[in-house]
Amino acid sequence: MARFLITLPSREHGGRGARPDFPGPVTDLRRAYGPFDHLAQVGRAAEIAAFHGALAPFDPEGEESLVVAAGVLRQSRWLRAVAEFHPGIATPVYAAKVSASLQRFSTDRLDWKLAVDLDRGTARAQGDFLEGPDRYARAEEFLTVAKGVWSEEGYTYEGRFYQVLAGGFQPPLAGRLFPRIHLSGTSKEALELSARHADVHVFDPEDDIEAAGLPGVAYGLRIPVLARDDDDEAWEAARRLWRRDGGTAATLPDPDPRTRLWRGFAPSRPARAAGPAGPSGRAVAEAAGSLGTALLGPFDTGAARHSPAEAAGLPGTGGPFRSGLVGAFETVAAGIRDYIDRGVGVFFLEAAPYIEETYRLGERLLPLLAKESAHVR
Amino acid sequence: MSVDIYWRIGTHGDQPSLRRRVASRGEWAPVVPGSLAPGVRDGQRDGYSYVEHMGDVARASELSGFVGGLLPSFPNTDDPWAAAATLARETTTYRFMIAFQPGFLHPVQAARMSASLQRATGGRVVYNVISGGGGPDQLWWGDRVGHDDRYARTSEFLDVLKGVWDGGPFDFDGRFYRVEGAGLPEGLAGQPFPEIYFSGSSRAAIDAAGRHADYYLSWLEPFHALSEKFDQVRANSDRPPKFAVRIDVLARETEEEAWDEIRRGWDNIDPTVLRGATGDSIGWQRSQSFVTGTISGHRDLEVTPNVWGGFHLLRGGPAFGLVGSYEQVAERLDGLIGLGVGAFILAGVPHLEEAYRVGEHVLPLLRGHDLRIGSPLLEGTPS
Repeated sequence: MARFLITLPSREHGGRGARPDFPGPVTDLRRAYGPFDHLAQVGRAAEIAAFHGALAPFDPEGEESLVVAAGVLRQSRWLRAVAEFHPGIATPVYAAKVSASLQRFSTDRLDWKLAVDLDRGTARAQGDFLEGPDRYARAEEFLTVAKGVWSEEGYTYEGRFYQVLAGGFQPPLAGRLFPRIHLSGTSKEALELSARHADVHVFDPEDDIEAAGLPGVAYGLRIPVLARDDDDEAWEAARRLWRRDGGTAATLPDPDPRTRLWRGFAPSRPARAAGPAGPSGRAVAEAAGSLGTALLGPFDTGAARHSPAEAAGLPGTGGPFRSGLVGAFETVAAGIRDYIDRGVGVFFLEAAPYIEETYRLGERLLPLLAKESAHVR
Repeated sequence: MSVDIYWRIGTHGDQPSLRRRVASRGEWAPVVPGSLAPGVRDGQRDGYSYVEHMGDVARASELSGFVGGLLPSFPNTDDPWAAAATLARETTTYRFMIAFQPGFLHPVQAARMSASLQRATGGRVVYNVISGGGGPDQLWWGDRVGHDDRYARTSEFLDVLKGVWDGGPFDFDGRFYRVEGAGLPEGLAGQPFPEIYFSGSSRAAIDAAGRHADYYLSWLEPFHALSEKFDQVRANSDRPPKFAVRIDVLARETEEEAWDEIRRGWDNIDPTVLRGATGDSIGWQRSQSFVTGTISGHRDLEVTPNVWGGFHLLRGGPAFGLVGSYEQVAERLDGLIGLGVGAFILAGVPHLEEAYRVGEHVLPLLRGHDLRIGSPLLEGTPS
């Protein structure tokens, strides 16, 4: 059975932007509200819409993912929450300890996604000066130690990055399920790390999934989707998005006829790192907040995904715009089915506005995929 | 000045009373019929967990008039960050005092978690920064920085945390931490900065407290000793913090009733276990130093009127607490306010029921008056 997760908004008041004032004659009983009011509702929407889980992305420009995940877990009974973070946030012992409690509080519904390959500026702003293969070496130790203290009493470890003496959890902290580990990346180091530690390896839509070769690891896909009643309506919405993000009719990309992928979803990257040419993450988020039907690509994890040339790319020039599926619900379902045929079993769908799209996808898209289990690894 | 009164939450289960040292709340002891909130019903997991009970204590504290609660942190407890993030939206005014040791989290991450929690709670996060107390046990946590260096690290940690709080870009290159262009993003930046309760009795702690603490937090000690400690903190600080005391309370309608409750617990303990220190906490060693002489009965541990040094024998945790009638306990708290105490973290076993009792019967009697004049409690105190 394929699993479907939504991606939680990390910025802009839980993805809804600023709330406009009412004119004088309108009785206004709205209380002060905060981003977690909307985040809670997105999580509830995912629970009600029968998604399997929700990803709280690591976004250096947004809310902290463990706090977001804890809130979502608290307000749901079935939903799994995937908290994405990088190994520099804490010692592995402490990350495991916080997680052991969250597992206890949620009956084992917390998962981890490690953002290993941060870009240099993001990493340094997080106090993390490791570079290159060392980042994977540390992630390896991080996961080894976290799993060690989780499952062994009297656990001792002496590594390059971490040391533990007679560590390990005792009951009742001990004995919970270790969070499922989600990793990503297509480099040799990334795939080797996944082979040893991942439960799910998360790809991007244009990655060469077949080349990965990770026996025993489930394959995941993080993909923006824009689905409507029919293809025309979906493409009209896509064109609106394109114009909002600074594109013109002349530069509007066509979907790839072979993969069905449309490389026109909003660029996602930290606002501070935004190149001079593209719209900043913040501008995109503001625009999304003002367009009730707009679809906003969620933000990058800060992962070093794009080359410098790509990062500075203009709309429609093969720049940082991202690939996703656009079309009628049936069309998008067919695109997802292609990935299922290629072995992908876990889908992190990205769609905004978050609450409305989560309902829409739960009502219209997921039922089309309910029977998909063939080839899922 | 208004006095902030917190109530502790047990992050490690709770006992139904001080009479028997048996934890039946949560699953830290074997789950038996009558255990509350173990997350097990008819032998099956029931989907609840101990955090439900923590939420009950938080709500009871809020309803009883406490401003919030301390969520303590030890290797065998649930984690305060996890608990605060889980319960963030289930109370209205309750402040989450999160105990943490700076070495385990990176300060940028601590800032990010704190700011998100401030947004989730409407600014109700308070820090209890702990630097010492671990000794060899620190390596359980994967931390091998020595005692005094831990305070130096705490200072750097708080420098970085404060440095990024309002958005940066912030550069720092210290012994323990280095950041480049760090800062909380728009939205997270500029939240109210959590008040800092700073724990530690050593000289290194007192020095570090002088730089960063809003409240210097001490366990209860005999009042003259506390008074001396406060003087030492004041003398070592350009900007003296306020003072806070963590106190267990056993208050009953009459003094006799209160001591009888203690006696019933005393009858159930093994008298050979009257000593025993672990770790390199100066605070623990200090607390032990006040009890001298032969112990033949529970009242022998009453070192000054109503200050009893045997709580650690009846439940885990520090030794000293207040025992007496509602009026006596209120008077002692007033006496501490007179010594300059601006905040209390009170506790009682069982945490939920005693929160109501103390909120209903003791807090209303507090007057905030300086009761030191002519008080026998402060004998030996330098004036």
